[in-house]
Amino acid sequence: MEVGVMKIMPRQYLAIMRHEVLMLWHDTGLRHIMLWASLLGLCLFLLVYRSQAITAIPTAVLDLDHSSTSRQLVDQIANTENLNLVASVNSFDDLKFLIKAGRVIAGVVIPENYGRDLSLGRQTRILAIIDASNMIYATNASSTFLTVSRTISAQAGISTLVANGVQFNDAQDAYQTVDFQEEPWFNPALNYAYFLVLALALNIWQQCCTLAACMTVAGETGRDSWLQIRATGISRWSFFSGKALVQLVAFFLMALPIFLLSFLVLKSPLQCGFPVILLFTMTFALALQSLGAMMSSLARNPVDASRLGMIIALPSFVLSGYTWPIEAMPHWLQSLVWVLPQTWFFQGFNYLAFKNPGWGFISRYFLALLIIAGICYGVAAIAISLGNHGARRVES
Amino acid sequence: MEAVIKVSNLVQGKGQRLVLNGIDFEVMPGECFGVFGTRGAGKTSLLHILAGIDSFRSGEVTVLGCNVRTNESFKASLGLVTQARSLFLDLTAYENLDFFAALKNAPRSRIDQVSRSLALDECLDTPVGSLDAGLFQRLSLACALLNAPQMLIADELIKDIDLDSRQILLTALGNFLSGGGTCVWGFSDIGCCPHMSRVGWLEEETLSILSPEQAAREWERRLRQVAANGSGRDEDHA
Repeated sequence: MEVGVMKIMPRQYLAIMRHEVLMLWHDTGLRHIMLWASLLGLCLFLLVYRSQAITAIPTAVLDLDHSSTSRQLVDQIANTENLNLVASVNSFDDLKFLIKAGRVIAGVVIPENYGRDLSLGRQTRILAIIDASNMIYATNASSTFLTVSRTISAQAGISTLVANGVQFNDAQDAYQTVDFQEEPWFNPALNYAYFLVLALALNIWQQCCTLAACMTVAGETGRDSWLQIRATGISRWSFFSGKALVQLVAFFLMALPIFLLSFLVLKSPLQCGFPVILLFTMTFALALQSLGAMMSSLARNPVDASRLGMIIALPSFVLSGYTWPIEAMPHWLQSLVWVLPQTWFFQGFNYLAFKNPGWGFISRYFLALLIIAGICYGVAAIAISLGNHGARRVES
Repeated sequence: MEAVIKVSNLVQGKGQRLVLNGIDFEVMPGECFGVFGTRGAGKTSLLHILAGIDSFRSGEVTVLGCNVRTNESFKASLGLVTQARSLFLDLTAYENLDFFAALKNAPRSRIDQVSRSLALDECLDTPVGSLDAGLFQRLSLACALLNAPQMLIADELIKDIDLDSRQILLTALGNFLSGGGTCVWGFSDIGCCPHMSRVGWLEEETLSILSPEQAAREWERRLRQVAANGSGRDEDHA
C-alpha cells in the first residue's frame, strides 16, 4: 500500500511527461511503427481496393446446346458488367479444371435442347457454378447471376406469353407488375474502398496504440530504472498518469495524418464533419490508453503485458462487427463484444462517416467509451496501489 | 544524538526462503555503515528495504525519523546507488541527470556541481548504455547526490571498476560524509572495510556488528581456516 508519498510538483509532472516523450522517441522501432505503420497501411489498402468494386469476374461457358438461342445467352453473359467471359469450354471436366486451377471463378453450363425447350415454353435449367473458396468473389458472382437470371426468366416468360397469343406490351406489363427497385443508401456504388480502407488503417492504428499503452506500467516496472523512480518517492499514480497523458496525445497525433489523407486527399465519405470525428477518436484514444494501462498494471512483466495487448488488439477488429455483423455472431458473443472499446469505436465510426445520425444517437457511443476508460483506469489505479511494483529483486 | 536508521526485528523472505531473520541495528548520523556479505547473503534485500523500494514481512524500519511502511517523505533526503544498472540506458547521461534532478526537485545548478565533482563533463552527451562500468557508477552516484541527500544507500559502489573511477567515487563519498551525510554501503570485497565506520556482517539471515578491523580479521581467519581444511582434504585424498 502506498502511503505518505510526497506531493508532486508541476516541474516533476512536466519532467515525467518530457521523459515519456524522450523514451518514445529513443525507442526507434516503436517510433517508426507508431509514425508510419498506419499511414503505410492506409496507402497499401488503398492500392488493394483501388478498383473500389469487384467487376470482371472471370467466367467460362459450357454451351451444350450450340443453338442460336444459347449463343444469344452467351452474348448476354459476355455483356454483363460484372462478368468477364474468358473461356468457352467443350466439356464439364474442362470447366471443372479451369475453376480448380483458379483461372475462372464462375462457370455457366447451358444444357442441351436449351433453345428448343425455351421455344416450346418448357422449363429449362441453366447451371451457374461459383468458386466459393473466395467469399467476396462468390458473393459478387452470385449477385450478378441473380440479376442475369431475373432478366432471362422475364424475357423467356414474355416470349412464352407472346407465343400463346398475348400482346407483347401486355406480356411485358404482366412481368413488371411488381417493380422491385434496389436503392443502396450511404454507399450507393457499394464501394469497397469507402467501406474498408480507412477502417483497416484505423485498425492498424488501434493495434499500435494498444500495444504501446500496454507498456505504460509494466514497461517501467520491468526496468532496473524503476528502482530509482521508487527511491525518489514520486507517487506511482502521478508517474503513470503523466506517462498516460503523453501517450494519449501521441495516439491522437498519430491518427491525424490518417484522417487528413483519407478525408481531404482521398475524399473518403465523412458525413459528420471533421471536429466530431476528431472528438470521437480522442475519446476512443482515451479508452484504448486506459485498456492498455489496465492490462499493463495487471501484467507481471513487459512480455506478459505485450501478450495481453496482442490478445485484445489483434481480434478486436473482427469482433467489432465492422466486417461481419454483430447480429450474426453467437448470442453470448454479441453481448461480450460490447465490452471492447474497439466495438464502440468502429460501430460509431461507421455511423459518423456514412450516416451522421445526430448527437442524440451517437452520444451513447461517447458515453460508453468514457465509462470503459473510467473502469479501466480505476482497475489500473487499484492494481498499481496494491501491487508492490519493483519489489522483485532479492539478491545478494 | 538520534539514529538516522533504526531497524528492529526485521524479517524478509524470498518465496519459502528466509533472507533476513529478525535483524536489529542502528546507524548514527555521519557514519559510513558497511553491510558485508557474500553473494546471496541478503545485502541488496536489506538495502532496498532501507531505501523504501521493497516491502518486508515483519519488523520495524525507521529512516530519518519516518516509518518506511507508512511514510515515504524520507525519500526526499535519500540518494541511492543500486547494484543493478538502474539508470535509463537509452537516454544520455545529461538526460538522466536532468530527469532525476526534476524528480528530486533539485535545482538545475546541482547538475553542473555533481557532474564536475564526479568528472562527468565529457560523457554528458553519451547514451548511458554505452558507458563503461566506472563511468556508469560515477553517473549513478551523481544522480544519487543531486538532491544533496542526508543519507546515501550504495550497493557495491566500487566493485569491478577502473582505479581512476574508484578514486573519484571515494573522494566524492568522502566529501559527502565530511559534509554531514550518512552512508549505508553494501559490499562483498573485504578490502572496502577501511572506508567504513562499522561493518554489519550479514550471514545466515542474521547481522553481526563489527568494527572494520574485526571484520577484516574475521575474514582472514576464515580464509586461513578454509585453506587449512583444503590442505587437510588434500592430504586425505593423498
